[in-house]
Amino acid sequence: MKTLRREFFRSLVQGGAGVLVVSLACAKGKTEQVVQQKLPARSIAPSNQKWSMVIDLAKCDGCKDCTKACNKMHFVPPMQEWIKVYEVLDNPIAGPYYLPRPCLQCDNPPCVRGCPVGATFKRTDGIVIMDHDRCIGCRNCIAQCPYSARFFNWSEPSHNKNELSHPYSMEYSYPHRKGVVEKCDFCANDLRAGKLPACAEKCDMAAIYVGDEYEDAVTNCKGETVQLSKITKQGAAFRLLEELGTEPRVYFLPPTKRKYPAPGEPKPEAGKS
Amino acid sequence: MNLDREANMLRVLTHTSRQFYVTFGILSAVALWGLCGYIIQLRDGLIVTGLRDQISWGLYIANFVFFTGISYGGTLISAILRVTNSGWRHPITRLSEAITVFALCIGGPMVIVDMGRPERMLFLFTHGRLQSVILWDVIAVSTYLAGSVLYLFFPMIPDLALLSKRQEFSSWRRTLYRKLSFGWTGTPEEQHLLEKCVSGMAGFMIVLAVSVHTVVSWIFAMTLRPGWNSSIFGPYFVMGAIYSGTAAVVLSMYILVRMLHLEDYIKPTHFRRLGILLLTFSLLYLYFNINDYLTAAYKVEGSEKHLMQQLFFGDYAVLMWATQALCIFIPFLMIAAVLFLKRLQKFLPPAIALASVLIIIGAGAKRYLIVVPTLSTPFLQNTNLPFDWIHYHPTWVEWSITFGGVAVLLLMYMLFTKVFPMVSIWETRQDEEQVETAVVPSTKPASQRWRSISSIPVILIAGLLLNIGDARADQKPPAKKPEATSLSLEWQQVATPAPKNEESKQTQLSGREASRVDKIFGRLLGWNPTESSDNLEAPPSMQVTATLHDSKGQPLTYQVVSLSLKTSFGTLDFGSRPTDEQGKAQFLVKDKRYGKYSVESIYDGGSDFAAARATATVDFGPRPAPALPSQGVLIAPNLTAAVAVPFLAFFGFTWLVFLFVGCYILFWRLPQIRKHVSKKAPWSQRKQPSHSLATHGLRSRKIAGGGY
Repeated sequence: MKTLRREFFRSLVQGGAGVLVVSLACAKGKTEQVVQQKLPARSIAPSNQKWSMVIDLAKCDGCKDCTKACNKMHFVPPMQEWIKVYEVLDNPIAGPYYLPRPCLQCDNPPCVRGCPVGATFKRTDGIVIMDHDRCIGCRNCIAQCPYSARFFNWSEPSHNKNELSHPYSMEYSYPHRKGVVEKCDFCANDLRAGKLPACAEKCDMAAIYVGDEYEDAVTNCKGETVQLSKITKQGAAFRLLEELGTEPRVYFLPPTKRKYPAPGEPKPEAGKS
Repeated sequence: MNLDREANMLRVLTHTSRQFYVTFGILSAVALWGLCGYIIQLRDGLIVTGLRDQISWGLYIANFVFFTGISYGGTLISAILRVTNSGWRHPITRLSEAITVFALCIGGPMVIVDMGRPERMLFLFTHGRLQSVILWDVIAVSTYLAGSVLYLFFPMIPDLALLSKRQEFSSWRRTLYRKLSFGWTGTPEEQHLLEKCVSGMAGFMIVLAVSVHTVVSWIFAMTLRPGWNSSIFGPYFVMGAIYSGTAAVVLSMYILVRMLHLEDYIKPTHFRRLGILLLTFSLLYLYFNINDYLTAAYKVEGSEKHLMQQLFFGDYAVLMWATQALCIFIPFLMIAAVLFLKRLQKFLPPAIALASVLIIIGAGAKRYLIVVPTLSTPFLQNTNLPFDWIHYHPTWVEWSITFGGVAVLLLMYMLFTKVFPMVSIWETRQDEEQVETAVVPSTKPASQRWRSISSIPVILIAGLLLNIGDARADQKPPAKKPEATSLSLEWQQVATPAPKNEESKQTQLSGREASRVDKIFGRLLGWNPTESSDNLEAPPSMQVTATLHDSKGQPLTYQVVSLSLKTSFGTLDFGSRPTDEQGKAQFLVKDKRYGKYSVESIYDGGSDFAAARATATVDFGPRPAPALPSQGVLIAPNLTAAVAVPFLAFFGFTWLVFLFVGCYILFWRLPQIRKHVSKKAPWSQRKQPSHSLATHGLRSRKIAGGGY
């Protein structure tokens, strides 16, 4: 019986060492890939930019034109709002304000951390991409996202001809399909084509600025280009739920000296404006 | 008497009552109904459930946690009692090990039922990311399932060999038993080897079981959600699982005693001992509940305040208080009453069985309360949605699948009782021999009885502790009436102001000593991504100088020149500035910018001088190479050693043990021993004396050693 025990432990130690060696050997190649930044092709964006967004809450009047434009551009399925306008009341004295929330394209995205199959992944241009061909519909990313920025196609979404005429692309996220998770993709294809995303383009108040962090400039639909590092610094920009460490790429300028009535306040008469 | 009770127990294998057929029929109908529900869900999508974007996990995930919890019964009763060498476990090991296997067979697929695209299930293996807790879960649960099947099968081999020789069985049964016993002959050497293997595996199964339920809890604890974002979740889940698992064992004991007439094996003393265990666990679970809720409720932290209100006084208050009562208080009082009041002792088995039913129902409700209320109180509430898109109520489909799952569990269990003996014959025989030789008194002194039980929490705590990855350009002025001017642009790099650098150097110096270890681990997990952002802050300032000359080449002074830069979406205006005596206007650009940009300087002109403009390409240095943010391995697309090595080492080692036990021992070692023995002496001569001697010797050694 002693021989058995000895044998048992010997083979356990040998086996453990074997597993360790094999896993180290496997991991070594992978480590080199990451260290040398040999990223998989899908993680490398077609162009070398880093997209950022600045939303000036002092300008946002809660008209939801951004939501409408987004829904139209992406054929967003019903009940979903990839950019959602919230009425926020931090405390009763400070008073309410509007806060549009697209996907914040975090630099430390919890959804990417949690995806078991790499269906959602960070791209080198800063966008968190969602791959509908890969998604298994486990909805762990929805549980992981603290911003409620992710949606699920609970049933086969209603389609329209225009939507179906396009082949599926991760850069515009349609045609839509059942059983996968959907989210704002910063209109990645428009950005590359040199156009602003739909929400920024259609914002009448010109509250949404989009630009390239490497250019250190963001632009709104009125063509006003401002220096990113300057407005974030001088405007005391904040990021949503900073304390969670998600490092979002969307900055908000505080709703000070608002140019519109706050939520709940009577709107100015139509004739006057 | 021994043979009598064996024959009595084995009667169930050959005799099937009408009751069995009726129950089987009803359960099959429920299971089919559940299957119908799942087919409808597959056809229409998850819209048939009550789940929506706000509360995207519900009953299915709660079921997954619940059934995995139930599966703990087997490990606890069998492995822990085996490690602590509690002799009274023998009649109940098999039935509890069977619960583990069947509960996992239902719990695991509940995740697949919850998936939006179950047909892509294999992506988990072909595209799996080991950084995801979901994948940890898949691997942990499947490892646990493989282990528990082996752990159920191994101690059954001697029984199967015994049964294959019994003449009252039909020939197909005997063939089945013989094939499954892999030529077991029953020599002491074989028996000893088997016992060694099983007790070795027992210790292993405890570690594995604790790790599995901890990983299950991490699906929740590793999210940024109020209520889930809690460090207590691992042990909390393990405790809850052990509690409900023990209750499941007690319940199945009671049912089997009533249905299969196992009174000869399972005696009130078993109910009594498990009752004491349940009592201990209920107090431990109460302790964990207080720890989880009170620490959150005391601080009234913004996001958790809402959750606590919902749980204690709001939408979930009724369910929450009912669950606490059902799961902890009522069973506690019931068990305590029958254990300590002599007058009520005759109701002991039914009362503890009833308490177990309450505990199991309470445990199911508790899992629901862990999953749903947290999802209903996110940081950002989903607005503009109809009521039933924000509030979750399980639909008939979800209930059908849930009850279908329960029905399949019971069906599998029923069929198991019809094919395999529910009590370990060889182990109970050994007990019998011991009683007959009258070495150990049947009623142990109280201190000894308590010792065997008090060692269990120690093992549990030990298990919990174990748990623990540019160019110049000239522009000819337009020939117009006002005097022509020319504007030229020059740019040069200038050093960025010094004081800032010193500051950062100082902070780096002060933190250097402590940060070496910190750097390695911090970089792995993305805790200090400051390194790369420091690099990003490096770009130098640019001094762009616009020089304005008139047509004679004399510098124009005090004229306003503006500067702008073309970006991909627009033009960035740097404002305007007057020229100095030399006709120069200097613009200091201190932006964090990379790449080449076309810069334009404009002189608007005036009544005396014509307008002029000049463009130049300014090079702010190359853009950084495309890279992902340096936030650690968890968001990286590739796997790194930091995550893979510990993970693969643990589960790889586990699988190795299973392979060792399942293949090497079964197919190589055992036949070898048999050959060896048959060469030495014919089997019939050695059997009787050596058998009892060997078992006796083994037992006395174990007792002397004081357990494992």
